[in-house]
Amino acid sequence: MIHFLEVSNQVLFFYYLLSNLAYLMMLIIALKTSAAHLRHLESIPLHWIKGSPLAPPITVLVPARNEEKSITTAVRNVLDLDYPQLEVIVINDGSSDGTLQVMQQEFRLRLVRAVYVQQVTSAPVRGLYRSDVDARLLVVDKEPAGSKADAVNAGLNAATSPYVCIVDADSVLERDALLRIMVPVLADPKRVVSVGGIVRVLNGSEIEGGRMRRVRLPRKSIEVIQVVEYLRAFLIGREAWARGNMLTIISGAFGVFRTDLVLAVGGYRSRAIGEDFDLVTRLHRYLLDRGADYCIEFVPDPVCWTEVPSDLRSLGRQRARWQKGLLDVLWPNKDMLFRPRYGRIGCLALPYLWLFELLAPVIELGGVATIILAACFGILSGAFCLQFLLFGYAFATVISIGSVLQEELTYKRYNDWQDVARLLSYCFLEHFPYRQLHMIWRLQGVWQYLRGDLVWRPMKRQGLQSAGTD
Amino acid sequence: MASAFETFRRLGPAAFVVKAIISVIVADVLLLGFIMLRRTYRKRYFAKRDARLFEIRERWDALVSGEIPYATWRAKPSDRQLVETMVLDAFEVAGPEESARLLKFMRASGLVEKCISDARNHQGWRRHRALVALGRTRAPEGIPALAEGLRDRNPETRLAALRGLGQMACPEAAVEILNWIGEAGLVVPALPLQSALIQTCAERPQVLLPYLQHAGVSVREVLGRVLGEVATPSLGTEVLQFAEDSLPELRAAAARALSYVEPGLAVNVLSALARDPVWFVRLRAIVSLGKLGDRATIPFLLNGLTDSNRLVRLRAGEALADLRIEMVSIFEEVVAMRDRYGLHAYLTAVENAGLQAKLEAEIKAIGRASNQVKEILLEVLRTGKAPLDQPRPEEKVSTAAASR
Repeated sequence: MIHFLEVSNQVLFFYYLLSNLAYLMMLIIALKTSAAHLRHLESIPLHWIKGSPLAPPITVLVPARNEEKSITTAVRNVLDLDYPQLEVIVINDGSSDGTLQVMQQEFRLRLVRAVYVQQVTSAPVRGLYRSDVDARLLVVDKEPAGSKADAVNAGLNAATSPYVCIVDADSVLERDALLRIMVPVLADPKRVVSVGGIVRVLNGSEIEGGRMRRVRLPRKSIEVIQVVEYLRAFLIGREAWARGNMLTIISGAFGVFRTDLVLAVGGYRSRAIGEDFDLVTRLHRYLLDRGADYCIEFVPDPVCWTEVPSDLRSLGRQRARWQKGLLDVLWPNKDMLFRPRYGRIGCLALPYLWLFELLAPVIELGGVATIILAACFGILSGAFCLQFLLFGYAFATVISIGSVLQEELTYKRYNDWQDVARLLSYCFLEHFPYRQLHMIWRLQGVWQYLRGDLVWRPMKRQGLQSAGTD
Repeated sequence: MASAFETFRRLGPAAFVVKAIISVIVADVLLLGFIMLRRTYRKRYFAKRDARLFEIRERWDALVSGEIPYATWRAKPSDRQLVETMVLDAFEVAGPEESARLLKFMRASGLVEKCISDARNHQGWRRHRALVALGRTRAPEGIPALAEGLRDRNPETRLAALRGLGQMACPEAAVEILNWIGEAGLVVPALPLQSALIQTCAERPQVLLPYLQHAGVSVREVLGRVLGEVATPSLGTEVLQFAEDSLPELRAAAARALSYVEPGLAVNVLSALARDPVWFVRLRAIVSLGKLGDRATIPFLLNGLTDSNRLVRLRAGEALADLRIEMVSIFEEVVAMRDRYGLHAYLTAVENAGLQAKLEAEIKAIGRASNQVKEILLEVLRTGKAPLDQPRPEEKVSTAAASR
């Protein structure tokens, strides 16, 4: 027992050290990459893309299920985007509220017989509607299938552009987001098959007419902590992974994909829990199997603002679902691990996800338990135990503050002094007690998945209207 | 009592952890301090910069006309940078007269020389920025410096030079780019190259023709696409030579360019291209036939409705709907074809163009057809289903078709 505790403590120490060192390395890479990206943008004014006849058409897919509160704002926001050739397809996924009726009223929809060829599997379509207000808007009304993936697939079948951009109906894109996200595609359309943008927390900010009016930090602590989390995940994690062409996730809230490739891999997997992660992994597999020279990019400046859970219960459900999604993708793709054919994805990105994402709750919570036990048995001195935990805490805090620093040095969306001060103070709370809570939710997710509990539990949301003074 | 250092030494292995804790706490404090200091500094910097910007803006006309001696702002790097940025931004929205005035100012004040020098002597991102800025000045004397950038080893520098030359938007810049790809081949991604060539060849697309004849396959593909974008009536029948080219890109370019040629000459060639084995050539041909807007194109557009490619069918439907003439006759022919996909594409186009009510009214108004035919047509219009089990509308009056 004593020997086990000793080994366990050592394993946990190195695990924690390695995890934080990996993040520190990512922070350094991300700082460098962001600076290079900003300099690169200086030589590509966005209005050149806007006026370019070569900007490829994009279809924006907006899956919506029971979004009557926010759908009008979301659709108006997408239609107002700056992009030369745009088609917007809203997929009403069998909403039981007035989502379709609200759109019919607002955008004067009429039933049309637009071409709909079922290239990827989705539930039957009830009807297609074209807007009389804006001919670029098409609404696909379909039978409910209980997954966002199925709704996106229906949109893919109706899309006519070479690129599709998938956006959540509860999100707000900045006006130039599409121009910015297409910069890598335009620079090298043959290699760049997909691009992800940054997702930021909408709660607390002011929205007017579907557009961001003023960026503010949310009021609730639980929301502010998520701001720090999102900054760390996107500005450090995604930026660094993309630098090595090892990005395995493009957020379902905002990403651009080459339509032919998404169709080639069969669209979204209808029963996938983490459909965005699943799609990118399948794209990697498909392209690597064919030995393709390709690139999946992340661009940190096209911003998508999204509403995050504002109560613990909803947040817990969301994080448990994310963990289930992770397991749901990693397990079927375990054959990619350490196979030279899958290059860096198989040898670095996926093992990292297994070790530091999927197994993190088991190792960390188990580790804390063994430390406490070791301290009780007198194997570990109380002082050392405290020092070790303090070290882990302080190191992780450096990374969180680093993500705020990255934000400060580059995109600087939070202009208010108070907001920055609050953001910094929450960096100290993220690793205690939030992290431990987070680990419990993630452990719940693993447990639910192993039990076969794959039910999607609804989250309490305010809708875009309440995000500000619309 | 032992000193703190002595206690620290006695800690043994734990001392490492303590050191680590101290280091990370120091790192935390330094990061916090840096963020706060940087905020304060930037606040002051931007306040000063904005104030200076307003001052310069107030005296802008005097500055550009040279009334204010150049030496007053040129010596100060921050002022010089502000003026340069303002002039380059002004170029973006300036008309020909204003552009000439701004260019004169840039030459007289030495800013063009400075841009050329920066584009030649800087390294890394500074050089990239300088190359693009030089292009934005549209000063022809900058072309050699940009051409040097094209031949740089760094791909980013080559791209920046390409963007700069694209901004020049003159045939001389196009010649530089074309000479360079003639020497080096396709060493940059195709899209930025196309973009630069479209900008530079728009004024005189003829510059492309000699290169199109002698370039390698991959370069010809790109040039073909550029030709398709920049073709103007001035090219006349010169594009006809590419209608039978072995490269589908060039045939597509020819198809696109033919939309600017007189219909009498273009329809025959386009009708042949509309039967091309490659789908995007057919697509271009159908779109061009639609653009011609000529009655003579109707049979070929109707053929396009039965194409195996969905996009070709859709564009054919759109072109037919956009004609807005002989709607009933066209609809009759579409129904008579008994091609569900074609019918679907046509009806979609009619609906998207908001012409459904007009077509319905015209069907009801025709006097040459029996009630049965009218009913069939109205039923098809309403349901979108081809009358497969119903008698073919034999009474279809094909006077319009005969006239064609």
